[in-house]
Amino acid sequence: MKVIIIGGGWSGCAAAITARKAGAQVVLYEKTDMLIGLGNVGGIMRNNGRYTAAEELINLGAGDLINITDRNTRHRNIEFPGHGHAWLYDVNKVEPEVRKLLQNLGVELHFMNRVVDVEKDKNKIVGLYISDGNYVKGDVFIETTGSTGPMGNCLRYGNGCSMCILRCPAFGPRVSISARAGVEDLQGEREEDVYGAFSGSCKLCKESLSEELLKEIEEKGAVVLKVPPEDINIDKLKLKVCQQYALREFAENIILLDTGHIKLMTPFYPLDKLRKIKGLEYARFLDPYAGGKANSIRYLSVAPRTDDMKVKGLENLFCAGEKSGLFVGHTEAMSTGALAGHNAVRYFLGMPLLILPKVTAIGDIISYANFQMATKEGRRKRYTFAGAEYFKRMKDIGLYSTDNAEIEKRIEKLNLKDVMNQKLI
Amino acid sequence: MNYEVRDCIDAGSEYCPCHLAESGECILCSQLRDKNFCDCINWKGVCIYQEFVWNGQKAKEGRKEIQCVLLNKEFIYDDLALFTISVPHKLAKELTSPGSFVFLRNPISDHFFSTPISIMDVNVEENRIVLALEVKGIKTKNLNLINEGEKILVRGPFWNGILGLKNLYKSKDGTSIVTTRGIGQAPIVPVLKKLYANGNKIYVILDKNPYKDIFIKKYLDLYNCELITTTLIDENGEIASEFKRILLSILKNEQVNIIHSSAADIINYNVLNLIGETIDFSCCNNAKMCCGEGVCGSCSVKNKYFDIERSCKLQIDPRNILEGRRLL
Repeated sequence: MKVIIIGGGWSGCAAAITARKAGAQVVLYEKTDMLIGLGNVGGIMRNNGRYTAAEELINLGAGDLINITDRNTRHRNIEFPGHGHAWLYDVNKVEPEVRKLLQNLGVELHFMNRVVDVEKDKNKIVGLYISDGNYVKGDVFIETTGSTGPMGNCLRYGNGCSMCILRCPAFGPRVSISARAGVEDLQGEREEDVYGAFSGSCKLCKESLSEELLKEIEEKGAVVLKVPPEDINIDKLKLKVCQQYALREFAENIILLDTGHIKLMTPFYPLDKLRKIKGLEYARFLDPYAGGKANSIRYLSVAPRTDDMKVKGLENLFCAGEKSGLFVGHTEAMSTGALAGHNAVRYFLGMPLLILPKVTAIGDIISYANFQMATKEGRRKRYTFAGAEYFKRMKDIGLYSTDNAEIEKRIEKLNLKDVMNQKLI
Repeated sequence: MNYEVRDCIDAGSEYCPCHLAESGECILCSQLRDKNFCDCINWKGVCIYQEFVWNGQKAKEGRKEIQCVLLNKEFIYDDLALFTISVPHKLAKELTSPGSFVFLRNPISDHFFSTPISIMDVNVEENRIVLALEVKGIKTKNLNLINEGEKILVRGPFWNGILGLKNLYKSKDGTSIVTTRGIGQAPIVPVLKKLYANGNKIYVILDKNPYKDIFIKKYLDLYNCELITTTLIDENGEIASEFKRILLSILKNEQVNIIHSSAADIINYNVLNLIGETIDFSCCNNAKMCCGEGVCGSCSVKNKYFDIERSCKLQIDPRNILEGRRLL
């Protein structure tokens, strides 16, 4: 049985792992030369409700990637406005480890292979076309191409290509595979009929910070700096993907986190204004390179799906990550990816597909985000364990917990302990 | 067939985006065709939409006519002449690739006398181009009125004179076959040069009809080609049996990487049918061209795979254009 995964970001990697553990032959196509996609410039784990989800993943038997990010954590349990107990992984360490893990598991990796079209037989995908014209066949497909970019979208719905980690101009743009298979994409909105949203943070080059400031950040993990009053721009919060960071504090302050680079919690920030702030006089952007004017645009390509992560209207296409909803974050990508990978194998074997119960945070967010996608207001929201509306919901319905034993019991009670560790074939 | 690697010969050049983009007909970009979102299944390395927006939401200026001098007119037969034209260095440089052509016009004639002629040879040191002109109809007769030393208008560069360029470029260190007939000899010269530069042994199967002799002999020697002269097509319009035998025998005995056919579409199509799917193929683009900029529509092609496209710009494997083609 051959599962083909399109896209090697966090969700694609998570899907590859669970599908492989369930016993399938797994082939992953990635258009760039690196795995984990935007994870190469992210780094925030276990903050707020993400802690619960990370522990759930471990107990479900899909904690492989969490283990890697935990192992490569630079700062544990730091606080910054709106966020408790955040762990920051080192973005310069994680990708090679993920690559090694997938290789050791026997996942067949194809880098710099851009999937551009599908061959269908009725409602079933039978094969994929790579941009060089090659054709590959598979039994089940998982689309994790994300919803970010490419340049045309970043231009039409944003401030143009900002040269982000996806490097579309160099490796070619992502193509929506579900759309090629005839299932129309849904879009997130940031305002009334304004589609897409900006990625929520940039990275500064460490060496460009003053010695003093760098020392402070490296010690504390997070530093908050005041924005000069004349430069405060509340409207900019509307632009952001990450509503958990769309707080007043984020407009009045600059929040810097140490994730190996220095993460600046704003979609973009004019360089001359940034350099007015003490300690940042020599600042320069590392990601996106043009962080002074723009950032990537996301949520333009969400596939309609059911709660088992199967794309509606197609028999054998699953999806995960941003492709599967207006999700934000690595943990969310790993959660949806793990379920998609596991269910791909169940589908092939004719087993009932796993739908995670709503008494788990992961099961609840998957179903809640799906339900919300159907409403106009819902399409203007983002779904993350880390904040905004969904974290509130987690607390309200008692899903939020930082008690490992309690979370373990939760999964055990559902008879789901290590479910994704089982070999099915 | 579902996905096809299609390309626009002008994409990413200084002439892109063109009028097609301006009117929502871009061959490659979904944002400049019928969608509001990116769907880059055929990506050439530049975002055409971005170029379009940055160019003020309008097409780049097209090619201009340049006043050049007709240096030499060498008549091989009464109705076949080699024109040597002195052109600016930039234009000469841009006309070196296989499939290059220009539009020529006599300055005393109207714009619609402009006629596309393939480049046979380029000298980038002395900035000269050589073209074979078949004096046949109203436009070529008109060009023939120009005397040596007089002005001639050249519009270019254009590049889509060959379909399947990708196949041609990737053929290296093997055996290649080039079949040609009549005036089709002229545009194979840059093809031979490319194949030779890529280390291929070249067989040229040549039908000199309707001329008495070969007019590219010099180049066949230069690129070390093995020449076989025969008839490509019989009176009934069928592929000649002798030609078929020669072609199949080379295919049987050698590892052939490409067959390039430079003749009428009926011959190109028959050669394609004869060789099947296994060998790469390229051929001359025989579409009638008038503006070369995707506007006039005279080069439109339509087949069972796609609706109307402009073949002055559409670069595609000839299999996908000749098969199922309507109005062959």
